[in-house]
Amino acid sequence: MNLWRDIKGTLQAYAVTFGYLFRKPTTIQYPEEKRTPAPRYRARMVLTRDPDGRERCVACHLCSAACPVDCISMQAAEAPDGRRYAAWFRINFARCIFCGLCAEACPTLAIQMSPEYEICKRDPLSLVYEKEDLLIDGGGKDSDYDFYRHAGIGVANRRGGNADEYGPVDPGALVP
Amino acid sequence: MPTLTIDNREITVPEGTNVLEAARALDIVIPHFCYHEALGAVGACRLCAMRITDGKVSGIQMACMVRAKDGMIVSTLDPDAVELRRHVIEWLMTNHPHDCPVCDEGGECQLQEMTIAGGHGNRRYTGKKRTYANQDLGPYIAHEMNRCIACYRCVRTYRDYCGGTDFGVFGSRDRVYFGRVRDGQLESPFAGNLVDVCPTGVFTDKTFRFKSRAWDLQEAPSICPHCSLGCAVVPGARFRELQRIRAGISPEVNGFFICDRGRFAKGSTNDPARPRQPRIDGTPAAMDTAIETLRTRLAAVVARYGPQSVALLGSPHASLEAAVLLRDWAQSLGTTRLVYTAHAEQDRAARITGARLERHARSLNDIRGSDLVVMVGADPLAEGPLLALAARQAVRGGGQVAVIAPQPVELPCRASQLILPTEQLDAALHCLAGGAATTLDATARQQLEALREQLAGAQRPVLVGSSARLGGRGVNTLFDTAEALTTPERTIGVMMLLQGPNSYGGAMLAGRGPNFDMLLDGIEDGRIRALVCLESDPIGESRDPARTQELLGRLDLLAALDARPTATVARAAIFLPTRTGIEADGSYVSNEGRLQAFARVMEPGVPLRDTSPAGHPPREFFTETPGSEPWPAWRVFARLLGRSEDLAVLRREIADLDPRFAPLAGIRPEAPGSRLTTTPGLPHYQLDREARE
Repeated sequence: MNLWRDIKGTLQAYAVTFGYLFRKPTTIQYPEEKRTPAPRYRARMVLTRDPDGRERCVACHLCSAACPVDCISMQAAEAPDGRRYAAWFRINFARCIFCGLCAEACPTLAIQMSPEYEICKRDPLSLVYEKEDLLIDGGGKDSDYDFYRHAGIGVANRRGGNADEYGPVDPGALVP
Repeated sequence: MPTLTIDNREITVPEGTNVLEAARALDIVIPHFCYHEALGAVGACRLCAMRITDGKVSGIQMACMVRAKDGMIVSTLDPDAVELRRHVIEWLMTNHPHDCPVCDEGGECQLQEMTIAGGHGNRRYTGKKRTYANQDLGPYIAHEMNRCIACYRCVRTYRDYCGGTDFGVFGSRDRVYFGRVRDGQLESPFAGNLVDVCPTGVFTDKTFRFKSRAWDLQEAPSICPHCSLGCAVVPGARFRELQRIRAGISPEVNGFFICDRGRFAKGSTNDPARPRQPRIDGTPAAMDTAIETLRTRLAAVVARYGPQSVALLGSPHASLEAAVLLRDWAQSLGTTRLVYTAHAEQDRAARITGARLERHARSLNDIRGSDLVVMVGADPLAEGPLLALAARQAVRGGGQVAVIAPQPVELPCRASQLILPTEQLDAALHCLAGGAATTLDATARQQLEALREQLAGAQRPVLVGSSARLGGRGVNTLFDTAEALTTPERTIGVMMLLQGPNSYGGAMLAGRGPNFDMLLDGIEDGRIRALVCLESDPIGESRDPARTQELLGRLDLLAALDARPTATVARAAIFLPTRTGIEADGSYVSNEGRLQAFARVMEPGVPLRDTSPAGHPPREFFTETPGSEPWPAWRVFARLLGRSEDLAVLRREIADLDPRFAPLAGIRPEAPGSRLTTTPGLPHYQLDREARE
């Protein structure tokens, strides 16, 4: 009785293995073959640009504040037109856990998670990315959003010149 | 003393307290904008709504506008009150721009906090927003009117509290505008306080523009080193750079505000010219080597010329711990030639102040509550601006200010001015005390006699002097006057403006020692062969710089410990770099004898922006920080004396050995500090005579 059960169990396992020999495999031959990640896949983050091709990042420090592993650092600076931008922006991908909290915190949609997951290097220092390494040419998702056209402080347009603003008030006016 | 119930908790508060303050005493947070402890309540923002269910006033009320009354029952969590607050904050936000990411207030913005606390998350208003034109308010304050929520705190601070006249509120309806008539630098020396009081980002620190977020700053409670008043400040540093200074809160001293010098003058901490490398005969050396060289070279001088051939010079800018250890080191060397101020006259004035202040000591808070402030020779806006601000509060409270000075003294308040040349100030003080002042002309005498009458009738009068203007003799006369006018009912207060943040501490330690002019004489006749300067620049600070410079050249050994690039440092054979108050723990004794500690904000080092061309941290790893050589001055002396290099241990030792410094044992930088008892039983005339000899 027990002997019959053992023989059956052994052969059944062979039968399953043998059966899979003639099916299409689910694994692929990485790195010769590669998968296409889903559009919302969270891998290396990028810095996007606004519709005019300027950097979207305003160096507000919200990503570095949100980052649970403290891998983002930056320094803000002011351009002659009053635009706040990142003088330098650095991410240590050796430390990054790809949680996406930075992209979620980003108020200008500058940080977006890209599907590029192949960033392993032998030298950990080469995983420290600077702004130049992170910037891409397009706007990524929501590519027509421009923070400065909604901010209300007159950088992209003159003060009071955005679509959702009245022109500057005249404090001297006496009209009730 | 009404007793009221707030959120089912009972509290008894002093008469005249409003409900908002009573709730704060219970640690209940009620959202508010326009109320400020120093400015009072105006009921402009309508945010502190709460329900009063029982008592004479009932219904939804503004907490800041209702006085606490006996038997009141208040609910801050009442659904109607919560809903009203939610609507008010939503209404305040309708015109507020969408620019928090590029606003420097972000992270320490009361509007952000109150918006979250009020439960307003999503904008429902879809209409257009109101905008304003900004003004250029000078190099220190940035203006962004679009962010304004019209709480009026800025006008109340600038005009009412600080007495500025070139800033105000204009316009009507929803067009009210907070600014100047025309663009231009704000004239008030207290304009920087707009940055602190503005609950949102209308006024921000232009020198700190886009440098850091508040949460990234290293901050610690500190004491302003720019004058002798000892105001509380909170410096903030990042990337080894002192980036901004904001006001600390110290009810007895500065209250909530500081002057623009304390806020915007950052001192030598980040100075690119600051010497950071120890030097022996011009050659860079390690700190340990330099200290050992100082020890052996001084020993050689002592062996050859005797211990009295060594002179030590302290400073009004050095911490009390360093000053005490300098004295201990002098004792261990066997020399009595120890001085704490390079300017002999200021030194004498400070020592007389230390010896005679005793019961006359008054804090800035006492001046704010004074009914008569008489300033003799003092120019507060130059020597201690917060004193001018305190005098203004005295005037606002119904007090009076009288000025006796060689030239009209600018003050942010009403003051009677009596112009007398410097040499007649002494006679004027005599006249105030009731003496016959024959050298004064009749009108001056008449005015002084009127002032004497006023002083006799005043309840809380304070005499204000200045060690720089009055000198030792004048300071002595001022104390004589204070004593002559003191009656059993009330003591005349004295506040003496001294040279530096620790002038008083140095004066307490100097006691009957010589002054710097006597040291110079000693150098001249060859009795003194070595001089060690602690954070002092005798060439720049003594009474006769040319003579000092010439005589310093005759010394066998000149050693300097400093954080500033001074002329003395350039000439010193042995130079030891020290840390500034931003980089070391320590304490100062302010001009009213108040011992206050400051805490280290950051470790010393050349700011990142100066070491890295790209401005970012290097991509390689180093174990050494560039420019981190400086030591706290007290540590240098602890090493020389072979004592503990742990500050807590040192402070306990100092407190045990010298009962005058007993509060040093348990001192905490965040505490308000305590007034020291002055040198008992040191007769001033003796001091005066010794100083002359």
